[in-house]
Amino acid sequence: MPVRSVLYWKPNQGNVMTNEEVMSKISECIETLHGVEDQECHCHACVTFYTPILRDERASFADLPQDFVGVLMMEQLNKQFFVMQSRWIVVEADSLILPLIEKLSSYKPKSYITLNGTLYKMGDFQIRLFKVLPDQGNLKGIIAEIEYLPISSIEQSKKIMEEMVDTLNELASKKSLEGHFVQAKANYAKYGLDDDYTSQHTAVQYAATSLTELIQSALRSHDN
Amino acid sequence: MQQTQQQATAAPFSTSTPPPSSGGSASEAPPKQVAQAMDKLGQAGRIIADIRIGADRLLEALFVAASQPHQGNKPLQLFAKEDACMRQYFQDLRSLGKELEESGVLSESVRSKKDFWGLHMPLVCPDGAVVAYAWKRQLAGQAGASAVDRTRLALKAFTDQKRRFFPHLCDGHESNGSASKKCYGSEEMAVDPKEAISLLKTLPDVIKSLEKEVPNVKILTFRRLDWLKRAVKLTSSANENSLEHNYHGSSKLRLGSVGTVAAEEVAVIELLIPSVFRAVISLRHAGSMDPNHVAFFSPDESGRYVHAWGFSVHHVFKHISDYGGTAVNYFLWNQSETPLYSLMHWICSYQTLFSKPCSKCSRLLAMDKQSNLLLPPVHRPYWQFTFKKVLLNKSSRNQNSDSTQCFAYRWSPSKYSNFSGKWFVGTN
Repeated sequence: MPVRSVLYWKPNQGNVMTNEEVMSKISECIETLHGVEDQECHCHACVTFYTPILRDERASFADLPQDFVGVLMMEQLNKQFFVMQSRWIVVEADSLILPLIEKLSSYKPKSYITLNGTLYKMGDFQIRLFKVLPDQGNLKGIIAEIEYLPISSIEQSKKIMEEMVDTLNELASKKSLEGHFVQAKANYAKYGLDDDYTSQHTAVQYAATSLTELIQSALRSHDN
Repeated sequence: MQQTQQQATAAPFSTSTPPPSSGGSASEAPPKQVAQAMDKLGQAGRIIADIRIGADRLLEALFVAASQPHQGNKPLQLFAKEDACMRQYFQDLRSLGKELEESGVLSESVRSKKDFWGLHMPLVCPDGAVVAYAWKRQLAGQAGASAVDRTRLALKAFTDQKRRFFPHLCDGHESNGSASKKCYGSEEMAVDPKEAISLLKTLPDVIKSLEKEVPNVKILTFRRLDWLKRAVKLTSSANENSLEHNYHGSSKLRLGSVGTVAAEEVAVIELLIPSVFRAVISLRHAGSMDPNHVAFFSPDESGRYVHAWGFSVHHVFKHISDYGGTAVNYFLWNQSETPLYSLMHWICSYQTLFSKPCSKCSRLLAMDKQSNLLLPPVHRPYWQFTFKKVLLNKSSRNQNSDSTQCFAYRWSPSKYSNFSGKWFVGTN
């Protein structure tokens, strides 16, 4: 399947613009590149953060992995992806696993973030621009997903993706946006994933981005 | 052998009888004279051989007489018989020699006399070898053969004779010759396209040569109908290996290597650079070496539209396919001897499509004004893939030889006069 690269918007220190304003400016940037919004397609994804349930008092909370994340993607609503970054695990499962997890009571969902966005078509590129909405509260961040349709090899697409990110950042700075897009860093080899792009690669990227996003937004709210 | 030969040559000079039939032969056409002379030389050779055998027999008789003195008359009779035979042989040889001398084969003075036909008489060298006019005949006659073939034949005849007359030199040359030949050969390859073209006469040769030069390309050949069947079943190359285990009929996907399809049935050639692109070339007709059309696709694309006249769903490959049409025409009309080879080389230059930035603006992505699309450099100048330049590239191992261009910039030939200047350095 075509390669996708997940980016998150990192605002600079002292940024005064709200996320909504940044969002509309970024849309303008995409339209400068002749990106056309697909009115019919509404992109949606959900990232759930799980926390372990302690059944044995002797066991320590800290021993168990804290970063168990579940990703649900719009294109594959019948599948659920799980990523555990500390153990380099990614799992693709049927969505029927969710009641099983509930029954097992090993992990329970702690919080989630919803990604709502629009799809822009730009020739061989497609960009999904997501608003990051926590379970409660306002828009917390912006995530963009760039998809390059002709290639499914991650290696081949690396330079193209980097250049696309640079192009977007250039346009953003021209529009006086204080911040830039950062590509999610994901070491696919450690997860046992190979060069051919799959939905599991996307899940890994979302997990990496979401955690970073969450940490950063937590820091920002702490500062505020 | 030399002594007898000298005797044979010396004998005609000593006699003074008039020559028998050489006067009549002068009225015949020179080629017939030459043929007759060759015939007589052959006869002379046979007589000389008989003389040698006779001499052996004489020696044998003497030996027998010496070792067994009580034999009596027997060895003497043998001796006398042989003596008579030998004298007859010598007589025959003398007369033959006279005839040959008259016709100008043996005498020094006549050697340089040219016939008006331009044919020299065959010459007999002191050591007995006949320097036939073979190499001259090759050059003068044989109207049907091309100049190259004639020269090649003449060179071969000349080398054979040289090997006979100067064996010591030939030995020395051969031992060093192979090493020097190799060096000379590679230089020749760089400057002599004709030699290299002769190595690319058939489709398997072209494919083998390209596979050596571009290691990561996969080339498959098909009959026209077989390609249509394959197009529907295409998968990306990475998945093919895993699918092979599941499909029991998957071996059919591999059908179409040069080994299984006869060269005269090939009508479609597929070039796959894994993870980058798949190019489909159509040949003018089955077994032809002339390309007709080419189209580029993503390695993941499959369907009935994946053929040499089809268009990819992706804009980048659509643009390259359009450009490919121009390239095919260029190679056909300017490269009448190796259009397929040059085209395949040009196609393989796209293996860096997604990694090599434009040589003008150093960017990998640029906006095309006409189509409002972001594209990687889709223009690879096909005029830099003429056969001579490809050869030059190979011999000089110039890695920076190709230049890529992004779509956004419209080039003009004058801008690339520098490139053509670079290219012509080192050629004659």
